[in-house]
Amino acid sequence: MTSTQTSPEAEPTAGDERQRQTRRVGFTQTLGRWDVKVSPYLYISPFFILFLVTGLFPLLYTAYVSVFKWDLLLGKGDFVGFENFSTVLQAPVFWKAVRNTVSIFLLSSVPQVILALVIAALLDANLRARTFWRMGVLVPYVVAPVAVGVIFSRMFADQSGIINQVLQNIGLNPIGWHSEVLPSHLAIATMVNFRWTGYNALIFLAAMQAIPRDLYEAALIDGANRFRQFFSVTIPMLRPTIIFVIITSTIGGLQIFDEPRMFDQYGRGGADQQYLTLTNYVYQLGWTNRNFGRAAAVAWLLFVLILVIGIVNYLITRRISSDKSAVSKKRKKVRA
Amino acid sequence: MRKTTRKFLAVTAGAASIALLATACSSDSSGDTSSPTSGSTGGASSDAKVTLKVATFNEFGYADLYKEYQQLHPNVTIVDDKADTSDNARAAVQSSIASNTVKDDIVAADLDWMPELIASSSFFADLGSDSVKDRWPDWKTAQATDPDGKLIGYGTDSGPEAVCYRADLFKKAGLPTDREEVAKLIGDSWDSYFAAGKKFMDANTGAAWFDSIGALSQAMINQQEAPFEDPSTDEITVTNADSPAKAVYDKLTSPEVLAQSAHLGQWSDDWNNAFKGDKWATQICPPWMTQIIAGNAPDVKGWDVADVLPGGASNWGGSYLLVPSGGKNVDAAKQLADWLTAPEQAAKVFVKYGNFPSQTAATKDASVTGKTDAYFNNAPTGQIFANRFAPISKQPYRGSHYFPINSALGDAYTRVDVDKTDNAADSWKKFLAAVKDLG
Repeated sequence: MTSTQTSPEAEPTAGDERQRQTRRVGFTQTLGRWDVKVSPYLYISPFFILFLVTGLFPLLYTAYVSVFKWDLLLGKGDFVGFENFSTVLQAPVFWKAVRNTVSIFLLSSVPQVILALVIAALLDANLRARTFWRMGVLVPYVVAPVAVGVIFSRMFADQSGIINQVLQNIGLNPIGWHSEVLPSHLAIATMVNFRWTGYNALIFLAAMQAIPRDLYEAALIDGANRFRQFFSVTIPMLRPTIIFVIITSTIGGLQIFDEPRMFDQYGRGGADQQYLTLTNYVYQLGWTNRNFGRAAAVAWLLFVLILVIGIVNYLITRRISSDKSAVSKKRKKVRA
Repeated sequence: MRKTTRKFLAVTAGAASIALLATACSSDSSGDTSSPTSGSTGGASSDAKVTLKVATFNEFGYADLYKEYQQLHPNVTIVDDKADTSDNARAAVQSSIASNTVKDDIVAADLDWMPELIASSSFFADLGSDSVKDRWPDWKTAQATDPDGKLIGYGTDSGPEAVCYRADLFKKAGLPTDREEVAKLIGDSWDSYFAAGKKFMDANTGAAWFDSIGALSQAMINQQEAPFEDPSTDEITVTNADSPAKAVYDKLTSPEVLAQSAHLGQWSDDWNNAFKGDKWATQICPPWMTQIIAGNAPDVKGWDVADVLPGGASNWGGSYLLVPSGGKNVDAAKQLADWLTAPEQAAKVFVKYGNFPSQTAATKDASVTGKTDAYFNNAPTGQIFANRFAPISKQPYRGSHYFPINSALGDAYTRVDVDKTDNAADSWKKFLAAVKDLG
């Protein structure tokens, strides 16, 4: 009896233990599974939480502000719907700002990427004191943009500037760097390029160093000269980096602010808005005119413009090297 | 060893940044919660330790006065919070109002910002008291008084305008060079000023009569009662066909007047550099402009000051001290602002730094009227500016759109005079469009 009495008691306990044990194993397993599945997201979550707070929230809040009459000092006013957008879209100043922004962006980003590629290719060659040259191209990047603005606006001064003096010395007419549209864009693009070309060159250089050297050896054996190697090996292998640089310089190029603001004494983009960029216009609407609603509307339109140009850019750069994209397409097929 | 120090650094850096965040948050919240009434508790007992932060820009000339005040009031510590540019100082005031937080116990503000600060006058303490009664002329206090009669700012300096001129260029052109004779030549009206300019230009010295029409516009706008907006309704009137600003514009953009311009936009790099040469002969000159001229061309001999202003005495510039009502030590801050802007202190600032006082008594002080300026041919600048100050009776009405309209008008003049991108009529059309966009 005792044995039968104890056994049913013992049996369930043993079973319990076994069950518990299996359960414990199961829980650690699920923990482990969660660890594998969830922790990567946890690890990157600080970025996204920060982005939510500092990026997404302002983005949505700006959209909220843009449908109200909103004074910088007096705060929220009446709901006006899309009136801010329609007034801005009808204002000639806005379209001038779009023109300037796109023009300065093209004048800065295109030469910048091409120059950076060339400089990177040169730095990739066998040079003496390699690190010195490589660090040297980064020096302009260290200079504060406001300082660059002050220096260049003096060089480009219409009457007392050194550039116009040189032009006059060699018998050319001085150029109205501040009064004419295209020259002012060129001058501002020069400042931007001065600052960013070296930075982009270093990114290209890093990517170039990762290209397997045997590809060049093979190309050499096939009889390709340096130019052919550059266009048929280097450029295709750099495709992802080029896309990255083009997209970041697009975003930066469309948001140019410091350079035109430091280009003259008022920072309002010229008396005839010759070099007023969209970001300057946002600042002017918000802080000089104290009209936050309209500034928010322009900020959103700028966001849309960047998105559109970014997508166009992406579509174009995807075709930079057709062979390479063909390869990746094949890979995708294999994976599928 | 190296690793541990690095880790230690990283940890302390992290901790420090968290601490920074925490303090930033706490200072914000304290500013939010403190109501205007709770502010007066801190300064109530005169012996309690008090730290006062004073936000200024450019050069208010207060360094010595801070020391003096701290000796007089050992419990007070004054912290100087100087902004790098006046634009940044304006942005700081604006954002503190917009977010309803108080960072400084005393805030300095330029005359041009006063309309927008008056629109949020509840943010600032009422500074009216018997000790400051009649300290300033009415036109100075009017710019710091809200529609309900609350005084929110104590006047610091002022800008009574005179005419600076290059005696050496006058001589070259065969014109009189003596201060009094030049004042007679220039005369009391803008017509006589431009007539003198015609004589000067006819002598072909190679120099122009003035720097740019935009600079003259500022002086002429300062002489209007209501240049841009209706004082009773704040409605924009500058776009009306009969607006006084349009009459000024037509006069200044006429070919006769444009012919006397050096086409150099005020404050531009070209303008600053041009002082070193012989580019123009006269400059509308508030006291602070004399410092800019002397600073831009220390080696040029020949500048002098004439005791005259075409179109009648008027003021250009000047600042105020304001006390945010949400601060912790409002009473102590008021006391300090009162002391700093008292006539005795204002006279000291003028003698050392050249900021001309706005306090009536200070402009009559012997130390002020006795000051001469060696750079300007030993002209009695103290007496001249005191003479220019006394007859000022009004300031133009500055409504809530004054600042952007004035910027747009400046652009309109620049397009015609400096950039030459538009003729006068087109430039005015663009100005009207810009003003319309403000509404």
